[in-house]
Amino acid sequence: MAELDATKLASRFVRDIPVRTQLLAVAWLRWRIFVNSTFRRRGTGRAAGLVLAILVRITVWPFLALMVIGPVGGSGFLAWAAIANNHPQRLASLLAGIMLLWLFVNINGQSVTAAISSFDPSSLIRFPLRFGRYLTLRIFIGLLTPSTIVGCLALLAAAVGIGVADPALALPAVVVLAVYALANIFLMRMIGAWFERWLANRRFREFFSALMALSAVGFQLLNYQRAPAHAYGGRTSLILSLVRGSGAGLRWLPPGFAAHAILERSHPFAAIANFAALAASATLFAAVFAIRMHKQFLGEYLSDSQGSRAKPGAGQRRRSLAQRASLVASTAPTVRPAFAPIVAACLHKEWLTLRGNGAQVIAMLTPLFFVVILNRTMFAGQSTYFLPGAIAYVLFGVLAGLYNVFGADGLGVQVYLLAPVRLRDVIVAKNLMSLTMIVAEAGLAWLLVSLLTRAPIPLAMQVSTGLWTIFVIAANLALGTMRSIQAPRRFIPGQMRGRQTTPTNRTSGLLILLVLFGSMALQFPVTLLSRYFGDPWLGAWIFGPLAAAAVMAYALLLRNAEQLIMAHRDVFAEELCKV
Amino acid sequence: MTTPAIDTTALTRRFGDFTAVQDVNLRVDAGQFFGFLGPNGAGKSTTIKMLTGLLAPTSGTIRILGEDLKQNSADVKRQIGVVPEGMALFGRLTAEEYLRFVGRMYGLDRATTMQRTQELLDFMHLADEQKKLITDFSHGMQKKLALAAAVIHGPKVLFLDEPFEGVDAVAAGTLKAMLLRMIARGATIFLTSHVLEIVERLCTHVAIIHRGQLVAQGSLEELRAGADRRERAERGEENAPASERMRSLEEIFLEVVGTDREGNPAATAPEQELSWLS
Repeated sequence: MAELDATKLASRFVRDIPVRTQLLAVAWLRWRIFVNSTFRRRGTGRAAGLVLAILVRITVWPFLALMVIGPVGGSGFLAWAAIANNHPQRLASLLAGIMLLWLFVNINGQSVTAAISSFDPSSLIRFPLRFGRYLTLRIFIGLLTPSTIVGCLALLAAAVGIGVADPALALPAVVVLAVYALANIFLMRMIGAWFERWLANRRFREFFSALMALSAVGFQLLNYQRAPAHAYGGRTSLILSLVRGSGAGLRWLPPGFAAHAILERSHPFAAIANFAALAASATLFAAVFAIRMHKQFLGEYLSDSQGSRAKPGAGQRRRSLAQRASLVASTAPTVRPAFAPIVAACLHKEWLTLRGNGAQVIAMLTPLFFVVILNRTMFAGQSTYFLPGAIAYVLFGVLAGLYNVFGADGLGVQVYLLAPVRLRDVIVAKNLMSLTMIVAEAGLAWLLVSLLTRAPIPLAMQVSTGLWTIFVIAANLALGTMRSIQAPRRFIPGQMRGRQTTPTNRTSGLLILLVLFGSMALQFPVTLLSRYFGDPWLGAWIFGPLAAAAVMAYALLLRNAEQLIMAHRDVFAEELCKV
Repeated sequence: MTTPAIDTTALTRRFGDFTAVQDVNLRVDAGQFFGFLGPNGAGKSTTIKMLTGLLAPTSGTIRILGEDLKQNSADVKRQIGVVPEGMALFGRLTAEEYLRFVGRMYGLDRATTMQRTQELLDFMHLADEQKKLITDFSHGMQKKLALAAAVIHGPKVLFLDEPFEGVDAVAAGTLKAMLLRMIARGATIFLTSHVLEIVERLCTHVAIIHRGQLVAQGSLEELRAGADRRERAERGEENAPASERMRSLEEIFLEVVGTDREGNPAATAPEQELSWLS
């Protein structure tokens, strides 16, 4: 047996792995993941998939570019205007706006970033890294994200704007805004890391969803309470008043420190003190981020599943056979179910899944609140468009779920493939559950619109909207079911969205968005045409046949669902069943 | 003084109210092929995660090759290799790219990394899959790759969580031979497996964890002797000569973990339940 001496081992440990080696290894890893994800595709339609992905990106990128150019150009101009027009206090508001933009892009930018997001950097803890190096890696990994690019470009533009307006401020602006950029980078990292930690807890996820929904609704309600649609020019909107009054509030926050560090030209000590405060803020954000990273580095378990494991208590002793038999008898259905047994069983399973998903219920209810707000804002005085607008609005969110009906089942989808059941019944059950929720949501929106509009909604408009709703639901059911069978993707609730995305499903995600948006937008030109020709029933004539065709397409798809799934078993196995 | 390769003191891990591992005192000497057994959910993977620095213990200490894991985690991790529960592979790399990455992360120079990568790919019969992404590998191939990555830096202690699960018989034979050669060269292997025959054939020492607590630890001979003593004590024949019957590891395992908290057999007698099974 080999015997190892501790002192000898310790001496072997002295030489550290060069930091450059590990940093380059991680950079290379991310590059290879990006290359392999972008250029290597599997299965049939490899070339077609690549062409489609490129086409979608060519279509989408100009819009994204505009979304970058707009804020960047705007930042430069506003910074110039603030200095040139002698409104230095507006600089703090501008810098706060850039920080919010940074945060907004940070939250929403993941879906359009490259495949590098599929790499989980926390997995690096298994390698021989010291904490400092792990922290450095975590800071550098993901630095080249849309949020950092947009944020840094906006700050650079602001620095240029300040420099053009007053060349004497150019140097302090560049230095201060560079530190401000660092503060923002650490702030975004800090927020991201802590939220990832909290969102690993299901209860927090539900609480957070509710909070976000309430905040959005509350903000909108406050905004329209302050600025009723019929009183524009009277009281100002909440957003505008917030922007105008933000200067004083921002004084003791990083945007205020940065603005004063640049502008306090005649008081060098005040400028230095503000700069020190800004640097201290950046350090604080970095420190809070580091605390989180240190926890991660030491090894932590984020999932809440193990912690909630039931402990066998005295009341949970093994039941006797007789007890269990009576329990089974008491829970067995006593009435004849309305559906075929397989459909009923699957519906029950879907109901149990939905019941445990508070976030989904909140996501369904939130759009209804917005219908009330839309009544006083966007559709105020436009009652003709309110009904179709409100229905389109509430459907937009709920229809997306039809495009990946097997995603949340993951490995469990094998049960459907193995059990002696018709897969059509499984799809029918899943679609029935979705349909129930969609119809309930659309029905409630319809009811709200009827209650909120003072004048009665014309019958032709109601019929037209009804047929359009049937068309949209049936068409999306057909397309969604097809997509769910042909390209399912595993969805793990609670896991960071970025880790679950690949270029392929990002492309399909964009396509789905286009289809949804297209089917929603179809309502408006028809309504306009109807008004132009003075024929209120034109919509019904157009949407009637479309609805019939969509329902028939869905029925046809259901008829062939069995064969379709069997033909795509390999996709199911690859995407959903792989351990 | 002989330094144990793995030494834990009162190792405990709690998840909220649930205690997954409680007061585990493990000692694995250098050069041992150590089997770590336990029923499903007993705490094996949690223990291995703690021993490899992937999970922080709630309390207790871990020393690997004499070094405190918490204080010197980077140094310790350089000396250990791990095939973790989920294998921790990067699906969008090829096998070669993955091994090159792992080699560089462990501080191997470029030439050594390339050389060992090729040797390992040949050894694991993965050299023909140069262009295939890891995500397209079968489970067995992924397991072989995970093992290759775990040994590329020549670790002194190797932690293997179910290393033979999903690996074909030919590959399993090759892997076993490789592991035995590592032992012969002085490495220590800490292995968990549900296949007790494999553990019995490979391991010199075994520990059994049950409901988070260590219920047996020692060489196979010591465990057999202990089981024999218990059996004689139950019969009231403490002074009787030791039995010559060679107990299998499975028998010992079932005897140690085959009861529930109240001392009743954990498994239900087949004639009592599931009578409807044909």
